Amino acid sequence: MPKTARRAALWAALAAATLLTSGCAGWVRDNLTQSPTPWRRIQPAALPVTLGESRDFPIVAARMRDTGTVYKTYNAALGNPTTLPGENRLTVDVQTLPDSLFGALVQPPRVFPVPLYTMETLTVTTRREFPDMKVKVADGARRNRYGDYDYATAQDEANSCVLAWQLITDHKRMLPERIEAVRLEYRACGVGSNIRALLAPFDGLTLTLPETVLEAQDLGGL
Amino acid sequence: MTRPVLLPALLLAGLAAAGGGSGALAQQSNGGARALAPGVKVEVAPAPGSGSAPAAGKVDETALRYYARIGDGERLEAEIARLRALDPNWEPPKDLFAPQPTATGVDESPFWTLLSAGKVAEARAAIAEQRRKSPAWQPSDKLLQELDLAESAGRIRSASDTKRWQEVVDAAAARPEAVACNRLDNAWRLAEAYAELKQADRAFDTYRTIVTTCPKAKERRDTIFKASRYLTPEQLRELTALGATSNPATGEDYSSVRSAEAELETGRLLERLGNARPGALSASDLSRVQGIVRDKQDVDGAIALGWYFQKQKNYAEAQSWFSQANGWAPSDKAAEGLVLAYNGLGEKAQARAAAEPWKGKSSRVDQALKAVDPPRGPSGGGRSAPQGPSELDRALARHDFAGCIAIIRSSIERSGPTAALLQQRGWCLLELKRPSEAEAAFVEAQALAAREPAPKPAKGGASAAGKGSDRSPAASGLPQTPTREQENAYGQAIARLTTGDVTGLTRDLPRANLTPTQKAEIRASLMATEAGRALEDKRYHDVLRLLNARREIEPEPRNLGILRGWALYNLMRYDEAYAQFKSIDDRLSTEESREGVTTAWKTIYHDW
Repeated sequence: MPKTARRAALWAALAAATLLTSGCAGWVRDNLTQSPTPWRRIQPAALPVTLGESRDFPIVAARMRDTGTVYKTYNAALGNPTTLPGENRLTVDVQTLPDSLFGALVQPPRVFPVPLYTMETLTVTTRREFPDMKVKVADGARRNRYGDYDYATAQDEANSCVLAWQLITDHKRMLPERIEAVRLEYRACGVGSNIRALLAPFDGLTLTLPETVLEAQDLGGL
Repeated sequence: MTRPVLLPALLLAGLAAAGGGSGALAQQSNGGARALAPGVKVEVAPAPGSGSAPAAGKVDETALRYYARIGDGERLEAEIARLRALDPNWEPPKDLFAPQPTATGVDESPFWTLLSAGKVAEARAAIAEQRRKSPAWQPSDKLLQELDLAESAGRIRSASDTKRWQEVVDAAAARPEAVACNRLDNAWRLAEAYAELKQADRAFDTYRTIVTTCPKAKERRDTIFKASRYLTPEQLRELTALGATSNPATGEDYSSVRSAEAELETGRLLERLGNARPGALSASDLSRVQGIVRDKQDVDGAIALGWYFQKQKNYAEAQSWFSQANGWAPSDKAAEGLVLAYNGLGEKAQARAAAEPWKGKSSRVDQALKAVDPPRGPSGGGRSAPQGPSELDRALARHDFAGCIAIIRSSIERSGPTAALLQQRGWCLLELKRPSEAEAAFVEAQALAAREPAPKPAKGGASAAGKGSDRSPAASGLPQTPTREQENAYGQAIARLTTGDVTGLTRDLPRANLTPTQKAEIRASLMATEAGRALEDKRYHDVLRLLNARREIEPEPRNLGILRGWALYNLMRYDEAYAQFKSIDDRLSTEESREGVTTAWKTIYHDW
């Protein structure tokens, strides 16, 4: 009797395993959903970054999306005091380490290129972001709380714009263990020609990820 | 029809140029080499595995029988031509379509099938396995040659896909047969590689060799379109002239090649027209494009011309082109321009009449009507209509959306915000690709509209002011004119669509205060967005499901038709994909539609 029961259980388990692996329980072709999810709106307070209070560049809207289980992208649309086309914004891409062996094996394509820009891609981007404006790539980097960053400026008779980008990859000293990299990109246009004022929000931003990202000055200036 | 013509000159363009003076000297005696155009030497493919013609009776018919068995008529014909070139006394076997046991007892069909499916490594493995089983058996020369060629072609494709241009050139040099007319895609990739490597002369020579040696008119025409990305107008002119006259094949009509340059030129002019500042186009260019647009009754071209003149404030000319476009094919795009052009001329009654068929059905026409009958502005305070178009109207008529923002800003600073002004600001922000701010403007406008007294109802009609009215105007059977609140809700929905908030909008749409027409429009846009996403996710059945549902709401535009084609293609419904791409391409041929047609065709006929 126990022998019969054991055999029946074995057959049942085998049948279940066969059914589950043979597609009878449903199967989706190319089930590697690694493409980005649609954008979800979030409250500005839920952004993993704090920008100083700014009359010209308030946060108008905030959204986020995931790409696989590894990337989270946050976007803060900022006010634009000019009449130029295009949204001012700060984008934060957070690349975490996979939390399982399967996750490590099946990773989505990187959501940002490294290097972040080449002269060619930068030219394409600035032409798209700042049409009909005179664009100049800054010769030297600037520094914010998280180290050096590069930027380009664009100007016309009445307005100025900046595009700044930064990749934080020092996960030995600055980034917490779980985070592989953080990419920041900031685009702001304002009235007048004061580039420093445009960069001020980027210079002063603070990352507020669940685990602390140490600032450059915490490390003795890197 | 496809002649197995090689393009070694593509790789030796410099040498070809050096020998250009003697290019016209035919070299018929040299293993099939012949001069087809000044400076370009093209060779007829030699027999597989041999440099000279084999003895009669030694012709390898393996590929021929394979093409016969799978019913690939085009390749069969090409193979017969090739074998005849090798041995003029050879005749195709009479039992070509009868099943044939192979001499060695090994049927090569499975290897050919793998090869046709692009599974070269698998084919090699299967051959190795077969040889292990039957050590005496040797695969046919033709099979081995085709495998080598497929590998070379694969190397060229992969290097080109990853933009390793020098490797493309090297791979093509190592195996010139992989860059032949019957592998035209590779020849295009080689030309592109030269262009990307800034070797413009070689790129041009490559394109020139293609259009002077490949016999099919369609291939020559496609080559000219491909080349247009890299070549100067003068070079394109030369290419077209050569393509239309060199080495004509019997039965081919090259008039489509001749017209390619004119089509490219029109496209360029229309593009310039769209971006042009007033007066940027010379009088001769302008008159040329006008002639072409008239001849071809090109609706989009006429609309582009309309906007060109509208921007110049030449309202009479603009009105004439918008009317022309509307006459050829009535559309809300043409009506929008017509409304604004009449408004510019001060003919408000005509403007309203032009808007009438689209009123309440097209947001762009409703928007244009606001320039004719502007919403009550903050200034003036009186009830009488303003004298002539306001500064804001004029900015809108010029499509000057930055001006619109500036005027509204100063207006608000002067007299405070109104719902109408904020709403208009929302539309202008949307035009400036600032959807987040636009949405905020619509939200603000909606809040303000709820506090403002309802606008006066239209003559004889019930109140359409939203909250105050207790009955829907739709109940009367008339098209429902949106209330101000509905217009604001619609603006918010458009802004959310633009920011990619698909999930949230899908969730909120059933409860949104929109007219049925507006709701349907948003729903159709959501389905289009979701279909695009499904294609990225490789959920091809979902793509078709969504597009079919969307088609119930409104006709399918070109871009979604292309999307449908790729979904069908990826579901391996190649014939349907080809038919889909072809039907789009026949109406208006673009790079996307041509790519679809070519890819589907090549897949169906294994012509990679």
